[in-house]
Amino acid sequence: MNMLARKLIAKDFFLYRWLIIGSTAAGLIGLLIAAEGKVRFNIGMLTWLTTIVAFGVVLVMLAIASERKERQLQFVLSLPLSHGDYIRIRVIGLLLCFIVPWAVLTVGAITLIAVMPNLPDGLLPYAVLMCGFFLANYSVVLSSALHTASEGIMTFVIIVTNMNITLFIFLVGGLPSLNDHLQGPVAVWNGTFWIVLGAEIATLLITLSLPYLFAARRRDFI
Amino acid sequence: MTPTKHIEMRNVRKAFRFFTLDDLSLDLEPGQIMGFVGPNGAGKSTTIRLLTGLIAPDAGEIRVLGHAMPEGQAIAKRDIGFVSDEMRLFGHATLDWHMRFIASIYPGWDAEYAKALVRRFNLHPEQNVSGLSTGEHVKAVLLLALARRPRLLILDEPTSGLDPVARHELLGEFMEVLKDEERSILFSSHNTADVERISDRITFIDRGTLVDSSDKEDFLERWRRIQLQIAPGSAVPDLPHVVSKVIDGQFVTLTTNRFSEDLVAFLGNTVRQVQRMSLEEIFVANVMHHRELRGQ
Repeated sequence: MNMLARKLIAKDFFLYRWLIIGSTAAGLIGLLIAAEGKVRFNIGMLTWLTTIVAFGVVLVMLAIASERKERQLQFVLSLPLSHGDYIRIRVIGLLLCFIVPWAVLTVGAITLIAVMPNLPDGLLPYAVLMCGFFLANYSVVLSSALHTASEGIMTFVIIVTNMNITLFIFLVGGLPSLNDHLQGPVAVWNGTFWIVLGAEIATLLITLSLPYLFAARRRDFI
Repeated sequence: MTPTKHIEMRNVRKAFRFFTLDDLSLDLEPGQIMGFVGPNGAGKSTTIRLLTGLIAPDAGEIRVLGHAMPEGQAIAKRDIGFVSDEMRLFGHATLDWHMRFIASIYPGWDAEYAKALVRRFNLHPEQNVSGLSTGEHVKAVLLLALARRPRLLILDEPTSGLDPVARHELLGEFMEVLKDEERSILFSSHNTADVERISDRITFIDRGTLVDSSDKEDFLERWRRIQLQIAPGSAVPDLPHVVSKVIDGQFVTLTTNRFSEDLVAFLGNTVRQVQRMSLEEIFVANVMHHRELRGQ
């Protein structure tokens, strides 16, 4: 990664530092609430989940859509970089900006499940898959924003990716080979777990490759 | 050795749904300020976007500082300072942050010059960009472009929306840049007074085609308005290089783009007055003549 790419990625961390810090703090507060008993567990985990998802959407909308709409993109593109460089920097930078709070909140959730005596360790694979899903879901939003300037399309993508969370909870959580072990005392890392995780990783890799194949090759950038 | 032209456009075409920039050829030599003048929607911003690699031509060739565009834009932009009236800085960061950001990217950043510009433009580095007025914002963007000491400044309507004092300050700064003969400026505007003040070469563009391009002095020397008084019943002389002819009874006003003393001599004692034309008058007459020729 060259110096300019590092500077631009550092710029994203600087500009969105309060969003990153605030979202991490909100997610951690959710986990603290979840640690206080069974009733509060649901409220806390809902806060944690909402924080990660909303953070991803807000980050992408601020960094890409608003940058374009508020005409800061011209300033960025006046710097010595090509369209391909811009896309590469955007993918890496915004992935890193998301991964920092995501990693903290993922580790926090897994630690909570592992440490809390009243929470079964059987939840661990499901929690890992859910965190992986958040990352894959974010990559879809990020990739879409790099491909389209249409607010309508982005609204559609955000609605669909948010609906996917509900679908994930019911469909993946309802898979017998996962569901049967959720309340168990031991985490079961079976084949279904690895298949779902593989699908999430594949989604992540494919969606983040698309901007290099299409958006970076656009001849007209503004 | 011939120095590399800072801008070379050859037969460039770029088509959009409702607008086409057609067959545009343009050259900018080192040390020149070119005023790029056209009415709204003429194609000035499209041309500048092509020059800065933001969009790619459908046909033709573009070279900026010797680099083919848009392919070579990453290298070319190391030496280009691009400012557009549409360009915005990051609102939640201070001007000082922007200055440090640009300084860390451009090795040629002149910190002393930047400080001098901060004072001259009466800017406050610790102020968030979102709190800057329109004029202050333009000055801030220009400061960031000027202090990196680029070989080529590309300015897209930089003075639009500025008060006369701010415009005066900026134009003075552009003149300073040109003291270094290796630097050049492409300055797009529909404000002909600004262009007339600082440019040494002028290009007129209208409806996507180049109307005329020449040295400023050449324009000012070539274009004249000649008022004639002809005898009642006599015909208005038919002359070459007359772009407009207005007849009011026995008074005739001719506008020519190839003025010479021979023409005055030919017209003889019918000539009542020969008027020099301002760049704005030349611009309007030129564009209208061009549209007439194209049947638009």
